[in-house]
Amino acid sequence: MNLAEGVQIVSFGILAVMMIGTALGVVLLPKIVHSAFLLAGVFISISGLYILLNADFVAAAQILVYVGAVNVLILFAIMLVNKQEDYVELPGRTIRKVATGVVCFGLFALLGTMVLATPWSLSTTSPSVVDNTVIALGEHFFSDYLLPFELASVLLLMAMVGAIILARRDLIPESMADENTVTTGLTLPERPRELARLGSEEQDS
Amino acid sequence: MLSALIIIPFVSAAIIGLTPLSGKNPRNFAILTAAIILTINLFVCLQFDFQHQGIQFAQDVAWIEWIGLNYHVGIDGLSFPLILLNSLLTLIAILATSPTIQRPRLYYAMLFLLNAGAVGAFLAQDLLLFFLFYELEIVPLYFLIAIWGGTRRGYAAMKFLLYTALSGILVLASFLGLVWLTGETTFDYEILRSHTLPLASQLWLLAPLLIGVFIKIPIFPFHTWLPDAHVEASTPISVLLAGVLLKLGTYALLRFGVGLFLEGWVYLAPWLAVLAGISALYGASCAIAQRDMKKVVAYSSIAHMAYILLAATATTRLSMTAAVFQMVSHGLISAFLFLLVGMVYQKTGSRDVDYLRGLLNPERGLPVTGGLMILGVMASSGLPGMVGFISEFLVFRGSFPIFPIPTLMCLVGTGLTAVYFLLVINKVFFGRLTENLAQLPPVQWKEHAPAFVLLLLIVAFGIKPDWVTHWSEVQAIALLTGG
Amino acid sequence: MDFSSSVASQLHAGTILPEGIVIITLMTILVGDLIFGRSSSRWLPYVAMFGLFNSIVALFFQWNNPNAIAFLGSFSGDNLSIVFRGIVVLSAMVTIPMSIRYIQQSGTSLAEFIAIMLTATTGGMFLCGANELTMVFISLEMLSISSYLMTGYMKRDPRSNEAALKYLLIGAASSAIFLYGMSLLYGLSGGETNLNIIATKITAINGTQSLGLAISLVFIIAGIAFKISAVPFHQWTPDVYEGSPTPVVAFLSVGSKAAGFALAIRLLVTAFGSMTEQWHFIFTALAILSMVLGNVVALAQTSIKRMLAYSSIAQAGFVMIGLIAGTDNGYSSMIFYLFIYLFMNLGAFTCIILFSLRTGTDQISEYAGLYQKDPLLTLCLSICLLSLGGIPPMAGFFGKIYLFWAGWQAGLYGLVLLGLITSVISIYYYIRVVKMMVVKEPQEMSESVKNYPAINWKLAGMRPLQASLIFATVVTSLAGILSNPLFTLSANSVNSTPILRSAIITQEITQSTIQVSSVEDLIN
Repeated sequence: MNLAEGVQIVSFGILAVMMIGTALGVVLLPKIVHSAFLLAGVFISISGLYILLNADFVAAAQILVYVGAVNVLILFAIMLVNKQEDYVELPGRTIRKVATGVVCFGLFALLGTMVLATPWSLSTTSPSVVDNTVIALGEHFFSDYLLPFELASVLLLMAMVGAIILARRDLIPESMADENTVTTGLTLPERPRELARLGSEEQDS
Repeated sequence: MLSALIIIPFVSAAIIGLTPLSGKNPRNFAILTAAIILTINLFVCLQFDFQHQGIQFAQDVAWIEWIGLNYHVGIDGLSFPLILLNSLLTLIAILATSPTIQRPRLYYAMLFLLNAGAVGAFLAQDLLLFFLFYELEIVPLYFLIAIWGGTRRGYAAMKFLLYTALSGILVLASFLGLVWLTGETTFDYEILRSHTLPLASQLWLLAPLLIGVFIKIPIFPFHTWLPDAHVEASTPISVLLAGVLLKLGTYALLRFGVGLFLEGWVYLAPWLAVLAGISALYGASCAIAQRDMKKVVAYSSIAHMAYILLAATATTRLSMTAAVFQMVSHGLISAFLFLLVGMVYQKTGSRDVDYLRGLLNPERGLPVTGGLMILGVMASSGLPGMVGFISEFLVFRGSFPIFPIPTLMCLVGTGLTAVYFLLVINKVFFGRLTENLAQLPPVQWKEHAPAFVLLLLIVAFGIKPDWVTHWSEVQAIALLTGG
Repeated sequence: MDFSSSVASQLHAGTILPEGIVIITLMTILVGDLIFGRSSSRWLPYVAMFGLFNSIVALFFQWNNPNAIAFLGSFSGDNLSIVFRGIVVLSAMVTIPMSIRYIQQSGTSLAEFIAIMLTATTGGMFLCGANELTMVFISLEMLSISSYLMTGYMKRDPRSNEAALKYLLIGAASSAIFLYGMSLLYGLSGGETNLNIIATKITAINGTQSLGLAISLVFIIAGIAFKISAVPFHQWTPDVYEGSPTPVVAFLSVGSKAAGFALAIRLLVTAFGSMTEQWHFIFTALAILSMVLGNVVALAQTSIKRMLAYSSIAQAGFVMIGLIAGTDNGYSSMIFYLFIYLFMNLGAFTCIILFSLRTGTDQISEYAGLYQKDPLLTLCLSICLLSLGGIPPMAGFFGKIYLFWAGWQAGLYGLVLLGLITSVISIYYYIRVVKMMVVKEPQEMSESVKNYPAINWKLAGMRPLQASLIFATVVTSLAGILSNPLFTLSANSVNSTPILRSAIITQEITQSTIQVSSVEDLIN
């Protein structure tokens, strides 16, 4: 074992402990703000692991996207909502917790066995062959992963449209006036009550 | 030509159901169509070759090739009497329907769909085609019971639907198994008949088929839907149900049970004969205990249908002819009895044996109905000179040498027929007319016309039985020899 | 330079022309809505339908495409994928006309709804042809995210919100599990994402049996089973179906499910070709549970949307019989049944939409006596429900017969018998609705039917609804009787698809060797 490998193992250990610790914190801490900050810790540890794997671009992207955007967004959401709510204790809470624990532990044992039992086909070439991961990624994006890459743009577009739809305030549509000519029975369960009332007020005025 | 028998009812059902006919028009149209169908039947009857073994007037068109479904129709001596009976009883059922029935368009449309389903099943020479029509007839009959039935019609109709659907599924499972075991790619009846399977597989396939068919016939202990359905259905529907639709079961028994699995059938025959005997006795003894006239007729129907099974188990030439004869005879007699019970119900508003008294009163009662009823009871209990005597005599004559004890059980059942019907007649038609029945509306001759037609046939076939037997003699042999 | 030119010649980008057309339509609708404002909702749906129609035409011309594998193996345009893409597009094309009136009447914006539905369609189409793990996941997410958005589209209705949240949470969890399974597959095959290469490498590296492969199979099936809502991954279905807008439910029950089945065939047959017995076993369990639970729980439902949710679970169970059969006939019976299911289920949903537009309710008891007020609606709903119940001579009967026949030929006797018995049960709850509408006397009529508005087809958006209703009903009643062309289509698509050919041949070989050995046993 040379020095580089030793450093790798030590840093892997540190990152792993950090990740598990922060992840447990996310789940167990009672205050949601603490959980949100610890989540950032999880993301950063993951990006550290990426660096250990020589995936520098992915590590940077991980920090930028998850820590910089997603986690900040979560913090904003927590700040804006800022609502105190008392949770009612569920009946049979301990049984539920124990059951969850048993299931999770079983799953962990199964996956652990699988990881140890499987003869993973490790890549024999040294990872340092790729000197610039960005170029390699780019080549993939524009050759064999072209279609998923392009498709992701449509997906993002639609996610954006959807987010706007969910977030915007609905205005009363102009076409409501025409529909008042319809006489009866046109109340859908989905029809928003306030909207219907506003519509009829508009008609009255 | 035979396709016309399927197409005409379908088209007329569509015309009645979808076009805005109003008033009396649907009824007149229905009578006209039913008469046309009957005429075509008689026409086919004239051209029928009695000496020909096998299928006549066959039509064979590939319909859905991928599954091996052919539109293969044809008639032989086994199916044609039943088709004739079906057309006749459809006409009679329409005539017996009250002209002021609710929702006439839907009613007549459903009636014709029923007719088409039954005719198609009798005509089909392809197993899958048979199954298709067999299932097709369920939904119209469900509606006919559920909409125009008595007070518990919803329950009775749903029970009928589920039992019959289950019966169809079992029949289908048997057919699928047969085609799979023979390795054929087609469901054609003739082709499948030419294969002979080992006995064990025959028994495996015969078992679901038999249970399915026993539900339809119905044979004890699968019969529980029938009394409910009969009691709740209106008179014309009871006529069709007893006269035609139950025959689908016995027809399938002869055509597929005996025709396709002869060895397995012979192997099981002793047990089936005992079952037939039990069913006959059970039906007869239940009939004695009933208070509702319609239930009496329904249970007598169970008893009489069991004779067909008995005759079929004997598998001699005589007993096969007898089975067909008994189908026709039961179709006519039970239709006749249901018509008369319906008439009594319509006029008095009751079918309760304990409530009705002295309806034979010549001035204020229902003398003609009563007289006809007595004749019908005589025919049903097998008095000589009527069709019931010939058919039952043939059944017992054919099966006694083979299965004496089950035959004796059925003979006891016949004896009981006289007992329970005479009990009914005695209570309902004789004695003093009770005061609460004093103002009965008179019965028009027109209303009795369908019953008279049936009576005529009952007597005619009783005097000249060879009018019926010569249809099926040749085919009975063909069925048994596998030719 | 040489890189791009060498890549471009191997892309065969024409293979995704149908999807391209849908994406262009999608853009047209978004931009058109921006430019012309709300008045554009008059013509936008027709643009969408026109685009989808063109996409079907494009699919038609893609038949027997010589360059089926496009984008360097990312996407496969073989005939199997063409048929499934056709089903997805067709379901969107029938869903859009029925949603116009519904969306307008609920006072939400139509253009965005159609745009999201088209995205879902695109996602579903790509999923049907995806031949590589990344592609599978991206298109799956595209379909799922659009579905979540559509489910929560009526955002002022708490039930719609609840449905969307439930769907999102369970869907995200199942996506995560699916992704875990895929990552195992990636690792086990030594870092490959292409399904065909995975198939060859995985046996070479791991042999036929391996714990990792088994876990990956279970996880992937969990993801797929969520999409096709097979028991026990069905918990979302009733709530989502009840809460979301009805046109969305119609699309989810057909388009999304068809895409799920296409994914199941492609992924399991190619990547898990060595584990055929195992996944057949898992799917047998899923099919049994789905058929029994779906049909039995449907008996107790009072809302027709919930009833159809359970019925769709049960129908998925029937379709799985074809998948488990694993023969030519099995796959083509799946396709055949999905085609028929498309029309009968969408027909039924159109009727439900029409009824709820006129009365505002989904309760089965409110249908009582509808026959008197609206014969057309009664007739169409009856035909579609009877067809779903498998009553001849409707199309559903032939579809079911074919599925059961294929299953029987493949030796799945128990499964086929269970299917037969549960379909008898299903007749009960379908006919209950028909009974409500037809059998009830005028005096037993429900309140909403008593207040039934005069039938007016001239309202905006009603004509397309009527057209799609009549179209679906006519196809449902005739597709069975005249089923030869449809059968030829599905059989051809299976026969000419390379992945299925190799799978079937290997199976036949094993079967014939078994037969030969048994014959030898007999001789000795």
